[in-house]
Amino acid sequence: MLNDVFVSLFKRPFTERYPYAVKPAPDRLRGKLLWDESKCDGCKLCVRDCPAKAIEIEVVDRAAKKYLYHYRIDRCIYCAQCVESCKEGALTMSNTLYHLASADKAAFTEIYGAKGTGACSEEAAEK
Amino acid sequence: MSVETDFLRIQGSVAPWVSGSRTAENRLDMDTSAERLVPAVTALRSLSWGYLSAITGFDSGTAAPSDGHIELLYHFCNGPAVATFRVKVPREDPSVPSIGPLVPSAVMYERELAETMGVKVAGLPKKRQFLSDDWPENVYPLRKDFTMESAAATREVGPAVGSEEAPGTFIIPIGPQHPALKEPGHFELAVDGEIVTHADIRLGYVHRGIEKGAEDRSWVHNIYLMERICGICSHIHATAYVLGVESLSGVAVPPRAQTVRTIFCEMERIHSHLLWLGVAAHQAGFDTLFMYSWRDRETIMDLLEELSGNRVNYSVNLLGGVKYDIDGKAADSVRRGLDFLERRTTHYLKIVTTDESFLRRTRGVGAITFDQANLLGTIGPTARASGVSRDLRVEAPYMAYRDFPVRPVLDSRCDLEARFVVRINELFESYRLIREMLDHMPAGELAVPAPRKVPEGEVISRVEAPRGELFYYIRSTGGVKPDRVKVRTPSLCNWAAVLSVAVGHKLADIPMIMVGIDPCFSCNDRSITLRRRGSAESWSWEDLRAYGISYYAGGGA
Ligand code: SF4
Ligand code: SF4
Repeated sequence: MLNDVFVSLFKRPFTERYPYAVKPAPDRLRGKLLWDESKCDGCKLCVRDCPAKAIEIEVVDRAAKKYLYHYRIDRCIYCAQCVESCKEGALTMSNTLYHLASADKAAFTEIYGAKGTGACSEEAAEK
Repeated sequence: MSVETDFLRIQGSVAPWVSGSRTAENRLDMDTSAERLVPAVTALRSLSWGYLSAITGFDSGTAAPSDGHIELLYHFCNGPAVATFRVKVPREDPSVPSIGPLVPSAVMYERELAETMGVKVAGLPKKRQFLSDDWPENVYPLRKDFTMESAAATREVGPAVGSEEAPGTFIIPIGPQHPALKEPGHFELAVDGEIVTHADIRLGYVHRGIEKGAEDRSWVHNIYLMERICGICSHIHATAYVLGVESLSGVAVPPRAQTVRTIFCEMERIHSHLLWLGVAAHQAGFDTLFMYSWRDRETIMDLLEELSGNRVNYSVNLLGGVKYDIDGKAADSVRRGLDFLERRTTHYLKIVTTDESFLRRTRGVGAITFDQANLLGTIGPTARASGVSRDLRVEAPYMAYRDFPVRPVLDSRCDLEARFVVRINELFESYRLIREMLDHMPAGELAVPAPRKVPEGEVISRVEAPRGELFYYIRSTGGVKPDRVKVRTPSLCNWAAVLSVAVGHKLADIPMIMVGIDPCFSCNDRSITLRRRGSAESWSWEDLRAYGISYYAGGGA
């Protein structure tokens, strides 16, 4: 053990210097849920299977397949059940958008499709 | 001896007290009545067969097909076999005798029944053990007619029952904050000078009502609810649940998915055992070991995150399979991580078996003899350190353990040191298993579709969690939600043992003895009030730990 202690003396600290140095996240990291409007057919399977009631779909125009996708970041437990339930592949979880803490409540509700941006790409979500 | 012959033997000896019995694969169900329960259990005990694993109660409700009863299931387990006594009692007057005199560990389960189901069990202590003190009297959450509104409307709160202390005894209350169980725990230790003469536990300060909550959620939602029962063994809870549901709905999960699940189970065991090693070292005042073992544990946490995307609640299970594959690149990083951990584990094994001052805290301390461990229904590494070979991965292999057999790790020294050695040796076994599974990963699908409605029926799902046998009883009435999910966590079984071995030990040894069953004392500081004949001094868990360390530093005087 003493040897262990001695060796550790000359190692660099193990503690990460977050948030000053941010380690790249693993590919599979489950961050913010992203919705691709062009793929969604409004089946609401994701809503039904979400254990945290984090998703709501507002129908704007069913014929034109126009929906608003309400996503509650503060409720989401990042289980990815919605991603699995979606048969259209409209949902993905970002591995870069995971700094989601905020002092402002409004930041926890994301309404995709509202700005008429169409597909919600990662860049669009970042704006 | 095969399960069938065992069952025949049991059926033969309990026959006079049982009105009907059925066997299905590894299960024997025997109908009996409240009056005949005690002789029936006596007959079973006289065979020295198995241990009491859980008592489940469910309310059949008052709706049409039901005749308005509460059914109590006393599950005795031995390896893969489960023998269940079924007792039906009327909802209006549900009373059964206690089997505590025959099976000491039953008392804890009976108290749970009494409080959550309203079953009157003769001869139980008045004090509540599971529900909070301000929970209204005569409101039983697991009854089907229970609603939050009815509970809120009942303002009548029973009188708080204090500890039943004999005059002249010092009672040291520890707790209640204690994050290891579903519920935090509060201990009352009666001491005579330095020596503990009696130990009692009070649970349920933050009873989350998960079993009740499960009845109100869909089969899919419940995977994630179950996963949140424990923050350390999250995956094993979800796994026990999905295995049960899949067997009810007759879904055949592809072998690759089962192997991925098993790899996660073993990785979880590694992180849990390493976490425990650190916590236990910390309780002994060996913070260097604590820091290093937790530093090394990060390796496995990072791997879990890399494989699943989440660090704690990996959520890899689906009904019918898993979400993520473990492919070439991921497998390689797991292998590298395991190589590193194996070197470190060898080092730790050497430390806990040779470090003089550490051994003074563990060798010969907190012995649970083979007979005690057997009788009290101890499970998991705690049992295996007393030579009781209870490991479901070995005795009743499930998932990929069928193809990748586990070599049991046993120790017969019974003391705390043995509990360290067993857990550390289990780490080596887990490393070996994971490597083997990665090398011989079956090809194929990751998931198959599972139906949203689960056919009517009931199932018992038992798996080996890091702390021992995890018991799930799941009942479906054919709907989109379960009718009853009963969870018996391993620590609940082991408390009975720890409470009895605590007696006769020095107060200074208590933190180590309690931590020996791995109840995960890591997260919170607990407040202890030390009452000495009316006067009160406040101790925190930290104080008790410091007391233990200084006691031994002073030469144990
Ligand atoms: S990740 Fe889980 S909690 Fe979050 S929205 Fe999807 S299903 Fe709901
Ligand atoms: S499951 Fe997919 S397709 Fe269906 S509503 Fe949700 S996002 Fe749209």
